[in-house]
Amino acid sequence: MVLDVIAAGLIALGLLLATIGLYGLLRFPDIFHQLHPAGLVTGPAVLLVLLAAVATGSAEIITSAALVLLFVLVTSPLSTHAIAQAARRRPRRPEDGTASGGSEATRP
Amino acid sequence: MPGVVVSIAVGWATLLLFGGGVLLLRAPDTLHRVLALDVLVAIVIILLTLLSYLRGRSYYIDAALALALLALTSTLVAARYVVRGGPF
Repeated sequence: MVLDVIAAGLIALGLLLATIGLYGLLRFPDIFHQLHPAGLVTGPAVLLVLLAAVATGSAEIITSAALVLLFVLVTSPLSTHAIAQAARRRPRRPEDGTASGGSEATRP
Repeated sequence: MPGVVVSIAVGWATLLLFGGGVLLLRAPDTLHRVLALDVLVAIVIILLTLLSYLRGRSYYIDAALALALLALTSTLVAARYVVRGGPF
């Protein structure tokens, strides 16, 4: 009973984080700003929903959820870092200006 | 876990999926599309996990694991494609 309440709270918190992240993604103008709420959606929201597996009481579901949890814990920062690095290093077209990237002086 | 809570959560995650679709449609650039697909895959992982809680089966989470693996690979390759103009 207590476990059910905890799991419902974890699911609600995870979905709330995903909603906040999606709102930030729709509001922010720049890719470097958008990476922050995207990391919120792909990291902690998924982790919180996966943590709610403890209330199911099934060993198979808990084992698979722990596996996915470890995998997401590793790969979510990796993909965010790859996108950030690509946004910093990509060749800039002349009509782009500085609207969608960082400043030109900081590039190597 | 009570089924009502998980059903409401599945509905909420489906609405989030629509939001991700709007994000994908509004993307002006290749990198924005890559980012939107990353977010969409995260929402689909959430949906598959909630579906597994709802049905009491574990293989939906296995599908989510395979999807996370594919999403990592595709994001890395697409980011490299944006930088170098080719996947290799």
